[in-house]
Amino acid sequence: MKPIQPDNETPAGSTDENSDPLISIRSILLSDVRDRLREIEHQIDASQTQAQSDDDNLRQQLNELLMELDRLRQLAREADERSRDLKTEIEILRRRAQADSEGLIARVTPVLGDMISRTIRDSRDEMAEALGPIMGEAIRVQIRDSRKDMVEALYPVIGESVQRAVGEFTKEFQRNIDARLKAAFGPRGMLRTASARLRGISPAQLAMRDALPFSIREIFLIQHGSGLLLAHSHPGSTEVADSDLISGMLTAIRDFVRDSFGYGDKDKELDEVQYGDQRIIIQSGRAAYLAVVSTGTEPEGFRAKLHEFVSELHVKYEKVLAQYNGDPTILPNLQPKIARLVAETTGGETGPRKMSRNTKLAWVIGILVSVLLIALGCFYLQFTVALYPIAFPSPTATATGTPTATPTLTATSTATATFTPTSTSTPTQTFTPTSTPTFTPTFTPTFTPTPYKAYADGNVWTRDFPDAIKPHVEVLFIKTPVTVLSVYGRWLKVEWFAGDGRHQGWVPAIWITVVEPISPILITPTFIP
Amino acid sequence: MNNTIVQKKICLLGDFGVGKTSLVRRFVEDRFEDKYLTTIGVKISRKTIERPYGSMNMLIWDLAGSTGFDSFTNPSYMQGTAGAAIVCDITRRETLTIVAEYARQARIMNPKIHLVFVCNKADLAGTRVISDPEIASVSSTFGDGTFFLTSARTGERVEDVFFTLAEKIDARP
Repeated sequence: MKPIQPDNETPAGSTDENSDPLISIRSILLSDVRDRLREIEHQIDASQTQAQSDDDNLRQQLNELLMELDRLRQLAREADERSRDLKTEIEILRRRAQADSEGLIARVTPVLGDMISRTIRDSRDEMAEALGPIMGEAIRVQIRDSRKDMVEALYPVIGESVQRAVGEFTKEFQRNIDARLKAAFGPRGMLRTASARLRGISPAQLAMRDALPFSIREIFLIQHGSGLLLAHSHPGSTEVADSDLISGMLTAIRDFVRDSFGYGDKDKELDEVQYGDQRIIIQSGRAAYLAVVSTGTEPEGFRAKLHEFVSELHVKYEKVLAQYNGDPTILPNLQPKIARLVAETTGGETGPRKMSRNTKLAWVIGILVSVLLIALGCFYLQFTVALYPIAFPSPTATATGTPTATPTLTATSTATATFTPTSTSTPTQTFTPTSTPTFTPTFTPTFTPTPYKAYADGNVWTRDFPDAIKPHVEVLFIKTPVTVLSVYGRWLKVEWFAGDGRHQGWVPAIWITVVEPISPILITPTFIP
Repeated sequence: MNNTIVQKKICLLGDFGVGKTSLVRRFVEDRFEDKYLTTIGVKISRKTIERPYGSMNMLIWDLAGSTGFDSFTNPSYMQGTAGAAIVCDITRRETLTIVAEYARQARIMNPKIHLVFVCNKADLAGTRVISDPEIASVSSTFGDGTFFLTSARTGERVEDVFFTLAEKIDARP
């Protein structure tokens, strides 16, 4: 750097007297500037020196850093190499582990199984606690993934349970039916069955009704609209504390159903609610309605009975029922009426039923008619017994001597088809040649021929004996009706009527067509001439 | 002492979420639940209270809340009601504006019905948006201008509501 020359300095020998004061003034004025310039010059020198020094330091540090970097690079390279080595080792180990896993499983499985078994045995509750939460989920997953397997696995269990339950029910049902059938065949049961039949109920229906007996658990009488409980009876259950709440809720449900499904028809009401084997039968009146909680099959006419009850109640108490505002003092005691309704509707089980006047009258008429029929039956029987010997007289001669053979009874006697006055003696069942002479005048000549049982197939010779070598007697013409009297081998003894009366003779069986099977008693090894 | 037991049907009316069910729960079971469950249809509870003549079985019909009188609660449920509490929420102004309509509907169903006006959620004073003069003004449009500032959470004045109803009913059944 070029040094700054002070302006106040003048070269030697060039000063003069005029310039001296100027020079002095200039020197005085610029002395500060000169000093400052000199100071700056020093500072610049110092800075240059400092910069030089810093530059050296930086260079040195850079060298050091470069050396450090080299060292680190070296280390990184070494780390990379080590990492590669480790990866290789891990890969080797992994492959080795993979190769050994099957063997490992085989070795661990029995131990694991044993361990689980022992844990279950020793700490059953803990295991149940541990496994419980996941059991449901596990079953769900299993059902989702393999429904068929689960069904097959569970079928024996569930099937057996269902079968057992059904079996129990069936047995119980059967016992019930048996008991009812036994009861049904008692005198009272027979009467009941007959009565049911008259009303169009089959015995099966009756048995079913008896097997599923009807019972009333509770009866509520509830005010319309407000749902306030007017009366409550619980013949088939214990006292329910919340009957007033139930009546309110039932009313709300009815209102809800009517408003939701009535479609504007305010006359329609909910008339039945079924829950399991219980039913709530509702019979509605103008001011109040009756809700009957029941089980089993309701007896015939039950609804009509409820309707009648509610109607009667309204006839008597409609104003009170409608105006009831929760004050029990204005309400009549309806409890006995409801109790009576229960007794009447559940039949004779709860007490004797009072018969109506019409029922009583029907019973009296029925009994009278029965007695009359029985009397007529007895008379008819006696009459028949008395007439029997006359209508069917004994084949022995002794029977013929009875006073019944009076002329007045002649007609009856002649009506018997097989009675003949001939004296033919045959082993047949035709009656009989043994009539005594006393009988003879009583019979009229009107003879009813015996219906034939065979006829001749062609014109054939008859013989006195069942033998072809015996001489012919007479010809039996074709289509002649005959009665077979006896059978011997291939021969038949027949009887027929010709123009001059009765004829008998033996003919070969092949010439006779038998209309009816021949009675075995006619077939004998011997013949009767 | 006389042992007459009378039954009275009481209804609670009001918009959704004003706290009708909570009031009933506080009165009947003396407890409060924070969670809100909408009442569907109706829920009936019973509370027996001592009266000079014996006791009164209050059958409290907690009707499902509605929004505005267009969808007023099923009128069938109001039949035979002796008294009703009309409830509003002091933190929701819209629940106040509709109470007069509830009162009108209740009187259509039963002209003799006794009404009390209940402003619930008094414990939420910080978020209150309705002042006492406003409430009194609305109350006077359908009643005598009185009201109950209640809190089902704390139980404040809840019993007063039902006992006042019982007294009104006993005075003129």
